[in-house]
Amino acid sequence: MRLRQFFELVDVQARMSLKAEASKLYLSYLWWVLEPVLYVLVFYFVFDVVLASGKADFLLFLMCGKIPFLWFSKSVNSGSNSLVQNKGLMGQLDVPKTLFPYVTLQEVLYKQWAVFLVLFAMVMYYDNMPTLNWLWLVPLMVTQYVFIAFCTLLGAWLVSYVRDVRMLIHMGTMFMLFTSGIFWDINQVQNEALKQALLTWNPLAFMIDAYRSVLMQNQMYDLRHLGVLAGVMAAGLVLVHGLYHGQSKRIAARIVAS
Amino acid sequence: MSEILLSAENVSLTYKTRVGGFKWFEHKALNDISFALKRGDKLGILGRNGSGKSTLLRILAGIVPPTSGSVICTPGVKRSLLTLGLGFRQDLSGRDNALLSAMLQGYRRRDAKARLEEIKEFSMLGDFFERPLFTYSSGMRSRLGFSTALYTGIDILLIDEALSVGDATFRERAQNALEQKLGGDQSLVFVSHMPGQMAKLCDRVIWLEGGVVRMAGDVAEVSEQYELPAEPMRE
Repeated sequence: MRLRQFFELVDVQARMSLKAEASKLYLSYLWWVLEPVLYVLVFYFVFDVVLASGKADFLLFLMCGKIPFLWFSKSVNSGSNSLVQNKGLMGQLDVPKTLFPYVTLQEVLYKQWAVFLVLFAMVMYYDNMPTLNWLWLVPLMVTQYVFIAFCTLLGAWLVSYVRDVRMLIHMGTMFMLFTSGIFWDINQVQNEALKQALLTWNPLAFMIDAYRSVLMQNQMYDLRHLGVLAGVMAAGLVLVHGLYHGQSKRIAARIVAS
Repeated sequence: MSEILLSAENVSLTYKTRVGGFKWFEHKALNDISFALKRGDKLGILGRNGSGKSTLLRILAGIVPPTSGSVICTPGVKRSLLTLGLGFRQDLSGRDNALLSAMLQGYRRRDAKARLEEIKEFSMLGDFFERPLFTYSSGMRSRLGFSTALYTGIDILLIDEALSVGDATFRERAQNALEQKLGGDQSLVFVSHMPGQMAKLCDRVIWLEGGVVRMAGDVAEVSEQYELPAEPMRE
């Protein structure tokens, strides 16, 4: 399958999937915006009204962490099932198996656009107007996508061997939720060694901090760190692609027989 | 002598399936199958349920590898499993499903889109073509499936019981369309449990039983033996 054909297929499959999903709902595509807005409202109610955290922009702080995190967790959790879920198709068609996780990634990505727009609107509501500095979000998002793709493809491959891995992936994303500095500020960790370890070994912790630097403080993040991260993740992704390519038929045989 | 497009050499396949916990169950679905398919050949694979015919087709299509033995496909030869309703989704319209399915069979988006009117016309679905699939009757669904699957440009067609679709009128239409497509150099591997269909499409038949070739040869000869009462299924 040629590369362009592959991209077209990923795109059409993802759109069709979203269309099918939207057709079942009365408010159809409106949910793409409604869902994140309701999400913000729930957090507002809990943290600003009930807990009365006191800090003026705590809600914004939360959302700058939670929304990029949701992109990660939704992709990885649903993408990890993508190979085993497409058992029927896999038994009838010799396609590159990377197709299935990428379709899920693309589905989540299309929806994520609306979610990011809600986030940007919220940032502006808090008087942080867009500057040219916001353009630094682009390399950040690209790196995050590569990171997500790496995790999803690896996860889906592991699940195709042992389905139990799915449980571990759920636990793993939960672990990330609490260690990536979504509810707390990583810069306030007193132990410097621990802080550095978190930033080095948890890519999401670094990325979430970077989103906040740009959106809340209108500042630059550590570009060198991002560069290294992007390089490592891209290399990992290439390796996983090699794995899928070499094992294409074995994956199909395993899933068809399961 | 015409060229060999696809050959199977001592193909065997053992399924190793997990049946809960750490328990595994092994089943030899195919055992030492060999044959060759030349350009223009129309080969039928006849067999009862569980005889291994669909598994063999899957191996021939290059979807799964055999446990031992090999399948050799001449480089550059396009083979495809003609599957009814490939990747169909209940909540999408006939048009969307046809587009998706054609693209899965290897069409580019614009080529697939260009075929949609032809598919609509052939399927005789009319307005239903624009409605979601869950509103279809099972006959309508197979019409859409057949119409979509038919529009492919490949050297070897691998077909799994494709003709048992729709009502009598549509079945005849489907049969004619297929025969037309099969004229000339088109090679075919057709899988079915009914010898009647084989006689119309194939010139050579392999009869599979319990994963081994029970008999091979002319359609009429094999059919005659096949129609005798079945033996009980064995492991």
